Amino acid sequence: MTSTIGSATATKGAAPGPGAAARRRRRGRRFLTPPWWFAAPALAVYALVVLYPALAGMVYAFTDWNGLGERNFVGLDNFSRLFGDESARGSLLNTLLLTVAIVLVQNGIGLLLALGVHTRIKSRSVLRVVFFAPAVVSPVMVAFLWKYIYNPAPDAGLNGILGAVGLGGLRQDWLGDPGLALWSVAGMVIWQFAGYSMVIFLAGLEGVPAELHEAAMIDGAGRWQRFRHVTWPLLAPAVTINLMLSTIGGLKLFDQVYAATNGGPGYASETLSTVLYKQAFVFGNFGYSTAIALVLALFVAAVSMVQVYYLRGREVSG
Amino acid sequence: MTSSLRTASLSRRGFLGLGGGIAAMGALAACGGTSGSGGAGKLQLVGVADQQKAVEQLVNAYGKAEFEVSFAPTDQVQTSVRTRLGAGNAPDVHVVYPGNGSAMSMVQISAAGLLADLSDQPWVKRIPSTLKPAFQNDGKTYVYSAGSSVIGAVYNKKVFQDAGVEPPTTWSGFLDVCEKIKAEGTTPIALGAQTPWVTQLITYALVPSTVYAKNPRFDEQMKAGSASFADSGWAEALEMYLELQKRGFFNDNPNGTTFEQQTAMVATGKAAMAIQVSAVLPDFRKQAAAEDALGMFPVPGADDEKNCWIPAGVTVGLGVSARSKNLDEAKAFLAFLGEQKNMNAWAEAVACIPLTRDASSKVDPVLEPFLPFIDGGKAVPFMDQAWPNAEIQPAHFAAVQELLGGRTTIPEALAGLDEIYRKKS
Repeated sequence: MTSTIGSATATKGAAPGPGAAARRRRRGRRFLTPPWWFAAPALAVYALVVLYPALAGMVYAFTDWNGLGERNFVGLDNFSRLFGDESARGSLLNTLLLTVAIVLVQNGIGLLLALGVHTRIKSRSVLRVVFFAPAVVSPVMVAFLWKYIYNPAPDAGLNGILGAVGLGGLRQDWLGDPGLALWSVAGMVIWQFAGYSMVIFLAGLEGVPAELHEAAMIDGAGRWQRFRHVTWPLLAPAVTINLMLSTIGGLKLFDQVYAATNGGPGYASETLSTVLYKQAFVFGNFGYSTAIALVLALFVAAVSMVQVYYLRGREVSG
Repeated sequence: MTSSLRTASLSRRGFLGLGGGIAAMGALAACGGTSGSGGAGKLQLVGVADQQKAVEQLVNAYGKAEFEVSFAPTDQVQTSVRTRLGAGNAPDVHVVYPGNGSAMSMVQISAAGLLADLSDQPWVKRIPSTLKPAFQNDGKTYVYSAGSSVIGAVYNKKVFQDAGVEPPTTWSGFLDVCEKIKAEGTTPIALGAQTPWVTQLITYALVPSTVYAKNPRFDEQMKAGSASFADSGWAEALEMYLELQKRGFFNDNPNGTTFEQQTAMVATGKAAMAIQVSAVLPDFRKQAAAEDALGMFPVPGADDEKNCWIPAGVTVGLGVSARSKNLDEAKAFLAFLGEQKNMNAWAEAVACIPLTRDASSKVDPVLEPFLPFIDGGKAVPFMDQAWPNAEIQPAHFAAVQELLGGRTTIPEALAGLDEIYRKKS
């Protein structure tokens, strides 16, 4: 993630000066900003459904409430328990591993797909739809589907395909092997959302002016150089959005894990979200699970802020 | 992405003020709202999917009250009904799991004072004494249930015939049967351990013989702290469990195999049997070639037939919310369910053995081999029904998966269960 501003500005000239920004702001004020109270109804619903319950619920993180009886304030007990809880630590590590794998691979594949369907091949509109299709299916449905694909029997699903093409030696117990279950879940999520990343990258690619490419071609830049010095720097906003969305999604991952492995075998694929779900709704430890939720929320917020700070720094205007 | 925020004329302070004002309005509105269970006269009933057939049939037969009935799958009931209980607007009649050991179990909910006392209902007198712990907390009855489900081996009769074997009555006989079936090239036991609740069934099938047949007071001693999982027949039961794996009697990769795949294997004859709870017989039958293609026998957990006991868990039932506005109507409905003929109907609908039997009781013929154990006092409730908190059962699931995957040892796994058992619940 090194800064590529240098090479981009070479093609586009210096970033617009402060005068230009002021002009844009004035223009924007006149035409683009509706009165803010237009947003009030939506904000009201948001505040009532999301903000208020979230803030009101935070109180429980400091109690020993079990979901039924009275609640007693226990100060920071839940938090000290969380940091000493081995299973919570294991699930934090799993969450981080999953997130890193999903962010890198999903966006890598998404970018390749986007570059692929951004060309002039005949079937590009069909392919775009096909690649995006999984993203509109409910994650739980996808998990159930993949449970069939991951059937460990040698003649079923993915193992059957491997056997049919002579790769029988690669057959695995996809969801039942503790060392593999987490990666199998990651594969499922990547399959579902790579098309989603593709769409965002495509939007970014559409915004890369053709004349820049022409200019670079005239200057004798090859395919790779054009991507490296023209496309990639101008894709930065799309990269920011994709990395943010997949990071937040990865850290919060619940449905797919819960439906595919329920955190198993043993605790091998437990994530922070599955732990907090189980603590609340299976064990009845609502206070403790709220504390986990609070820590998770702060963690996601912190990671996102750091990401935005670094990624925005390398964006250039096209 | 954030450029739109930069040009928006709503300042941060304005936004927060607006949000705060709206949230406050929302809070006021929430306080003003009324909540509670159904209007007078209409009884709200929330059951679990397993009960649907029985409840619908009996609600229609009752006719003395109007009902608003809904059902949800097990894990959703755990979340939705418990949330309503916590919020103080529970349905008048709702699903309750007998005994203890889960977040929706009779002991946990009655301890919070949220279940109505049913002790004065006529059917309560008929509860067999061995099963009382499942119905009663501190001597008061809080849950209605129509009978017991048993755990045993659901087997494919044709596969047994082809291998020339009969249902065994001793542990060594059981191993011989598996060996013979394996020699025929068929998987002896299908195990779908990827589905968490399936993991516990083999342990539960063996523990009555390895623990309770020798020490019927094990549960009391556990509560008193004078017994432990690690130094009991639990270790033996898990050793037997793993012996089945060592001898290659399970399908490959049980940890990657689901309950659905397990049922299909037995129903289609790819495997000879599965150790399962009788309540899922309908799932097996749906896929089998014929209605009577499957049989069921108790898993003999000991070499001496006298010491072979079985698990018979009181099946999931119903309770009445202590805060119900229609308390008397709700209790009257449960008293109606307690009449012998209705118990029979319920038991028949969910393929369980009625709590008490009379001449008109129909027991699924497949369950006949289990009746001598139940009538002879050699049946014990499912182990988790006596556990003090809801965390032990999932820990047992995980322990079995880790044992099957070779990630832990039996002493280590049981030490972990002991630790969770002693946690303050």
